[in-house]
Amino acid sequence: MYIPPSTLLFLVFSYLLFLLSVEWAMQPHGAWYRPLIICFVVIAIAAWSYREQNSDEL
Amino acid sequence: MTFELSTLFAIGVGYLIILFGIAYITEKGWIPERIVRHPFVYVLSLGVFASVWSYFAATGNAFRDGYGYLAPFIGISLAFLLSPLLLRPILNLTKTYQLSSLADLLAFRYRSPWAGTLTTLVMLLVVMPLLSLQIQAVATTVSLLAPDATQTTLAITFCLLITLFAIFFGTGKGSGRERHEGLVMTIAFESLVKLVALLAVGIFAVYQGFGSLESMEQWVRDQPELLNRIKQPAPPGTFQIMVLVFFTAAVATPQMFYMTFHENNHPRALSVASWGLPLYFLLLSLPVLPILWAGLRSGALTPMEYFPVTLGVHYDSELFTLIGFIGGMSAASGLIIVITLALSTMCLNHLILPVWQPTARQDIYRWLLWKRRVLITALIWGGFLFYYVPDDSQSIRAVSNIGLIGSLQFLPAIVALLYWPRGNKKGFMAGLAAGTAIWFVFLVLPVAAGTNYFTLGNMNTREIVALSLVCNIAIFMLISLLTRSSIEEKISADICSVDNLRRQRRAGLTAASAQEFITQLTKPLGERTATREVMQALRDLNMDKQDKRPQSLRQLRSRLEANLSGLLGPAIAHDLIDRFLPYTSISQSGSADVAAIESRIEAYRSNLSGMAADLDNLRRYHRQILMDLPLGVCSLGPEDQIVMWNHAMESLTGTSSEEAVGLHLSEIGNPWYKLLNQFRDGETAHQHKLTVTVNGSKRYISLHKAVIEKSTARRIQQDGVIILLEDLTETELLEEELAHSERLASIGRLAAGVAHEIGNPITGIACLAQNIRDETQNDELRGMARQIIEQTDRTSRIVQSLVNFAHSGAHNKSDQRQEAVVIEDCIQEAITLVSLNKKGKQMEFDVQCESKARILGDSQQLLQILVNLINNARDASPAESTITIQCERIAASVQISVSDEGSGFPEEIRDRVFEPFFTTKEPGEGTGLGLALVYSLVENLGGHIDIMNATTKQNNPGARVVLSFPCYDDPTSESLAGLQPDL
Repeated sequence: MYIPPSTLLFLVFSYLLFLLSVEWAMQPHGAWYRPLIICFVVIAIAAWSYREQNSDEL
Repeated sequence: MTFELSTLFAIGVGYLIILFGIAYITEKGWIPERIVRHPFVYVLSLGVFASVWSYFAATGNAFRDGYGYLAPFIGISLAFLLSPLLLRPILNLTKTYQLSSLADLLAFRYRSPWAGTLTTLVMLLVVMPLLSLQIQAVATTVSLLAPDATQTTLAITFCLLITLFAIFFGTGKGSGRERHEGLVMTIAFESLVKLVALLAVGIFAVYQGFGSLESMEQWVRDQPELLNRIKQPAPPGTFQIMVLVFFTAAVATPQMFYMTFHENNHPRALSVASWGLPLYFLLLSLPVLPILWAGLRSGALTPMEYFPVTLGVHYDSELFTLIGFIGGMSAASGLIIVITLALSTMCLNHLILPVWQPTARQDIYRWLLWKRRVLITALIWGGFLFYYVPDDSQSIRAVSNIGLIGSLQFLPAIVALLYWPRGNKKGFMAGLAAGTAIWFVFLVLPVAAGTNYFTLGNMNTREIVALSLVCNIAIFMLISLLTRSSIEEKISADICSVDNLRRQRRAGLTAASAQEFITQLTKPLGERTATREVMQALRDLNMDKQDKRPQSLRQLRSRLEANLSGLLGPAIAHDLIDRFLPYTSISQSGSADVAAIESRIEAYRSNLSGMAADLDNLRRYHRQILMDLPLGVCSLGPEDQIVMWNHAMESLTGTSSEEAVGLHLSEIGNPWYKLLNQFRDGETAHQHKLTVTVNGSKRYISLHKAVIEKSTARRIQQDGVIILLEDLTETELLEEELAHSERLASIGRLAAGVAHEIGNPITGIACLAQNIRDETQNDELRGMARQIIEQTDRTSRIVQSLVNFAHSGAHNKSDQRQEAVVIEDCIQEAITLVSLNKKGKQMEFDVQCESKARILGDSQQLLQILVNLINNARDASPAESTITIQCERIAASVQISVSDEGSGFPEEIRDRVFEPFFTTKEPGEGTGLGLALVYSLVENLGGHIDIMNATTKQNNPGARVVLSFPCYDDPTSESLAGLQPDL
């Protein structure tokens, strides 16, 4: 199966981010918007990964 | 705080009128195209998915499930974040094959009208409760804000306006294929409205409910139970199931499929949506918790789902109440419009058209338009009935939630269509039926009917969903592995599979031209529709109507099928095309159109990386070698289709590679077809120096061929013949010229020898004859002696000519005199010399010569040339006619021409006039050495000679000899002339 490098990059970064930040986000006394910050970072990674994504013309 | 119904009614109607206005001005083109087609408009239009469940239900979900309320947002965002793996391949398929719904896609992939019908039926089950939920949400919010109002009246008015909008701006011109920019713009506007409304209510909640962000956080910290509920993990699997459901919904739900694929205007827009839509949902989910907390703090008794609307009521703000109301209405109306449009196409293509089709006499477009309008109306009012009939509003909400879970049953089929070519229609339908049955019996029925007819132990919803999905997948795979796929299914699987290139089949068509396509399609579609569709397909392909190449016709057929698929659905379109534009024979499995594959790879090239890119570079390198080979390369496929036509072939035949590739060999035209066909059929692998006449001139070609054996590779079983053409014309001409020069040289040597051997005896004979003439008194003897002397003189002249000719060929250029020769002087001298011969005819001479024309060389040689040419002209001309001698400078050369008014030169002797001893004069009149000598002298002077008829007259056109020499400009004389202008 062919996976575009940009997608692979996105998956790796997102997974690493999730591992590093899940405990921080769910801390009992942490700010309520922490999970949303993680979501935002994931979206930013995606925007960066796909910034020059050529369309598949096939 | 309550509102008058009339106020809410006016706001609602006013808002819907604004939607009408936006759609109208967009359709009219009053909004700039760069805005209408901007990727962000597309992204916002995808926000249609955030309907009532995200606007209202999210607050309730947040209270019950904590951060679990993010599961729907995360699910759909994941689908877009991973768009290169899922959405983009599907987008390519839907754009190429004009597939406007999931039912179309699955019917296309599994090549079964039943697949489309089953998908449509399941989709109706999934979506109808969702439609009624939207109507219910609008009606309920009205009843919350105006407790005295009747919900039904407002629901009817709402449905009526939505119906009108969907009919006017969603059905377009009736073909169902066109994009609806007015609709997209309106839905984007609605998404913006609900986002802005929810954010505004969120900010209102923070500052009105708590005073500041810090106060809100402090309040939350003071509510440990609430905080604990938010951060407490959901029961194992629940979150994942919800993510999976909404991940599937991104493709499976009709509204998302419609907006994502059908209304997409450019693949780049999907790239922007891959992060833009998740960002939109993130912004939408941001104010959910503040709204919930503000609502809880206010002690409101209204259902917390409606906090976005009722929060303004609780905090006495009319403005924010109305903002919340408008946001909720936009969420509901957008979804209803898009769902009904998408479902109407599905129902038309997969429920109505299979049993009821328009006749050829009817206007198909109009017929389809009205059917679609009726379906839209029926669906919206069906949704209304679904809302109106049950007396329990909770059951509607529950059924619609469960309904969305039903869309999960399409996940195996969607993944398989891209990544598992082995899957077939039997497996798909069995799996879908099994999964849907479990979902319907154990989840839908208990909620809809209120009783459990069947039970599965103590399994909860999450477990039943998982069970239905596992059964679906297991049965799909098992049956697909145990049963055979049809050839058509395999072709379709190849087309849909992500790892494959879309390959055209290599087979002939019964229809041999675009006109025949029209004739054939007139039978089912009528002449007007058939012509319109064929012409549209030709325009799409940028193809000429006269193009009859098999490859082009196959492309035209595929394009027509795709276009008709957008009109009638893939199943009907495929059946129609198969019946009326059939292939002459079914091609073998794996036999693909190599040219089509190659052009696909070229288009795909920018996406290749790593080893694939290296292999492609290698392929291109080998191809370039063949293309640039100085030998003509023509590769023929098994049905004599031209697969390769390199640059040398292009220059040899004058037919470009673009024109030739894809043609049948017979279509390349003679003489090449005859030559190549005979050689291809012949036994020998090489043929040397065959003669071909191209545009009246001969070409000498050597041919070589090699047979390409059929490959054992499954995918490309290409066999054929490769023919090499070696153009030997230049070599042959050089050889001929060399032989000619050799012949002339040998004649020169012979002439010199003959002249030497004959000269001495002739001199002796002449001396003896003179002695006889001088010494005898016998008049008769003296007369005979005079005749002998005359004949020996003549013989001496011939001998002298031979000597001159021989010497002219042997001139060494370095020994030649190099002087500036004034051509005008030479011409005058030549005329004087010719005129001295009083035995000749009296002629007029017309001399037109530039006085400054000079050449560098031997003046005696030029004089001899001119005397010979003028003598020839005089001999060929009638008495007292005019001989024209012209001399002019043309660029860096001097051109001298001698024209007469004689009978001209027949075309057939042109090639021979410069050969020694060739003459058209009567025997004894000429030696045939004059022009040969002239030719030789002109060469010596570095010039060029050509001969032609002087005019185009049929009778006595006259001959014209043209000499060209390099011009000589004497710098000294020019400078002197410049100093003495008066001289």
